[in-house]
Amino acid sequence: MTAPINRPQEGTLLELRNLRTHFSTARGVVRAVDGVSFTLDRGKSLGIVGESGSGKTILARSIMGLLPKRGTIRHGEVLYAGQDLASLGLKGMRKFWGQEMSMIFQDPMTSLNPLMRIGHQISEPLRVHLDMDKVNARATALKLLQDVGIPEPEKRLDQYPHELSGGMRQRAMIAIALACGPTLLFADEPTTALDVTVQAQILDLIQDQRRDRNMSVILVTHDLGVVAGHTDEIAVMYAGTLAEKASTTELFANRKHPYTEALLRSIPRLDQPSHTRLLAIGGRPPDLITPPTGCRFAPRCPYAEDKCRAEIPELEAASADHSFACWHPVGSPRWQSKQDELVSTGVLSASGGIA
Amino acid sequence: MRYFAQRFLQLVVVFLIVTFVTMVAIQAASKDPARDLAGPLNSTEARVEEIRKHYHLDRAYPIRYAYWLKNLVTVDLGNSPTLGASVRTLVGQRAPITLLLGLYSIVLALAISLPVAVYAAYRRDGPFDRFISGATFAAVSLPNIILAVLLGYFFATRWRIFPYAASKIWPWDNPGEHFKNVALPTVTLAVGLVAIFVRLLRSDLVNTLQSDFIVMARAKGLSPARILWRHALRSSLFSLMTSVALQFGGILGGAVVAEQIFALPGMGLLLFQAVQQKDLLVVQACAALFALAVVIINFAVDMLYAVVDPRIRHARALG
Ligand SMILES: Nc1ncnc2c1ncn2[C@@H]1O[C@H](COP(=O)(O)OP(=O)(O)OP(=O)(O)O)[C@@H](O)[C@H]1O
Ligand code: SF4
Ligand SMILES: [Mg+2]
Repeated sequence: MTAPINRPQEGTLLELRNLRTHFSTARGVVRAVDGVSFTLDRGKSLGIVGESGSGKTILARSIMGLLPKRGTIRHGEVLYAGQDLASLGLKGMRKFWGQEMSMIFQDPMTSLNPLMRIGHQISEPLRVHLDMDKVNARATALKLLQDVGIPEPEKRLDQYPHELSGGMRQRAMIAIALACGPTLLFADEPTTALDVTVQAQILDLIQDQRRDRNMSVILVTHDLGVVAGHTDEIAVMYAGTLAEKASTTELFANRKHPYTEALLRSIPRLDQPSHTRLLAIGGRPPDLITPPTGCRFAPRCPYAEDKCRAEIPELEAASADHSFACWHPVGSPRWQSKQDELVSTGVLSASGGIA
Repeated sequence: MRYFAQRFLQLVVVFLIVTFVTMVAIQAASKDPARDLAGPLNSTEARVEEIRKHYHLDRAYPIRYAYWLKNLVTVDLGNSPTLGASVRTLVGQRAPITLLLGLYSIVLALAISLPVAVYAAYRRDGPFDRFISGATFAAVSLPNIILAVLLGYFFATRWRIFPYAASKIWPWDNPGEHFKNVALPTVTLAVGLVAIFVRLLRSDLVNTLQSDFIVMARAKGLSPARILWRHALRSSLFSLMTSVALQFGGILGGAVVAEQIFALPGMGLLLFQAVQQKDLLVVQACAALFALAVVIINFAVDMLYAVVDPRIRHARALG
């Protein structure tokens, strides 16, 4: 009942072609997502990592088509199982939402309806999409609450969000997102509102469910440490564009983009408290109304030179599972000479960490 | 339950204060309350003194008030010298019409405002929303009297759909005639209320529609109708409920005016006559009844908050 029977198990599920999402505001056009392309295979998980304001949420919502029409300018294509989502219209999207793709939001406190019982909130999509009757929907909701590991699930059905702990609320939200057996699950910073101890449990839960249900997952986070153990691939986002995309192992072993390099350097060690922001990188992300003409990272990049400031580096594939957008990637001659300079002036320690 | 009791007690106190203050105000405005109560005509000195003793008008206000309260509780409020009937009968005959008028206008206003506000908020800044914004603005600025005269002219005098000089027919006697008779005064009152309700509800809805849980509801693939009516509306009702409670006194005041214009024999008419004839007991009883109605509505709305929002319910259960 939960999954369409003829769902293919492999192949490309999602393809973005030069997706742009701009907002027209009083100050000017905000280029929140500015030309993002990637593909995601069925059953795979992709982490989208970037600082606050880099456009991760807008990217996820653009793919899903959830942004309000007012003031939003959208270009490019989103192909879902080969179909251009823009051609579906709002009515068509409504059939997709919940059934084909669904989303776990950042803050379960504000994303759950405070005035509606948990059970009702879970059974709602079941009744709307799968035409279940009340009894059936309630039984399924109970089963879902069990699946996501909520203690005393029976009791939770009739409770309101404010009666649950933060972790339970996020589990309830996951149950809602999973209710109709989606093929693609978005999770937008699903753990930032939670205790550190609960965070790992929630991420594991999402991974387990992905495996059980053969879903694809897009996990949005500002914390590289979070995606490290939980996604197959990672896309690093900077100021509305992709800086680098690779399989998780490849990215950690062989990072190419200076921004990724800086991100990795700022991952908190196990023995230190977790950072929520990328403290190790100086400067701030550029203004998205008038971004730098060349490489957007140039103002903060230690390896930047004239070409970087003049010409935009395109995202190019270096190997089958690795692409990056940089004129002087890690390991290049310019990178090497600058690196030596930084070590000799004592900014970096010889091992690569911050001195 | 403790909250319930606490709130109830609060409202009893409010009622006592309001009725005490009105009593003092009404009686202090009179040169000699006893003489007024005796009636303008045929009041001998002896009769005036007898009345003074009977209503304890020679005592201090708090004591007079205590006696009045005792009379109120036993529903024996004395006789009206000018209207020739007991205050209880007079108020009992007239009050229900006014209260019904107030309630009808609120119900009618809500029935119109809810769908209008929901649609305006859904299509925010669209043609309908802009039209409603203009129309409600016009309605707020339109005085009740002018509206009543216009309604009376077209619907009663010209088209004869509704009676102009309405008469009092109880809904349980003849519902059709009853509603025909109260239609115009009800509409007169409702127009201004619709304008206020629509504006309040629309702006709250617009805010609610931006909240995270609405994005979540969309992401679940729910229809706009379901999102609006099941998810957004409920969270947006609080200003509206508060406004109903706050406006209720004003609505009763408006009902008094509307009754005058449409010659509907409700409390308003009674109050007018009583004030003119310095019939202090009737005025006091009317004021007390209005105060009671306002207090009860406020109490009901307060309880309604808890029905709508489980968080309030739970907080109260704890507190
Ligand atoms: N409706 C809007 N109108 C104008 N600008 C917007 C709008 N929504 C988002 N933005 C801008 O788009 C940029 C990207 O926002 P987004 O929410 O996607 O960032 P994010 O990467 O998710 O950050 P965070 O980690 O803080 O959630 C931000 O600079 C934000 O100010
Ligand atoms: S293109 Fe130049 S500025 Fe941009 S990241 Fe690479 S080296 Fe730095
Ligand atoms: Mg975000």
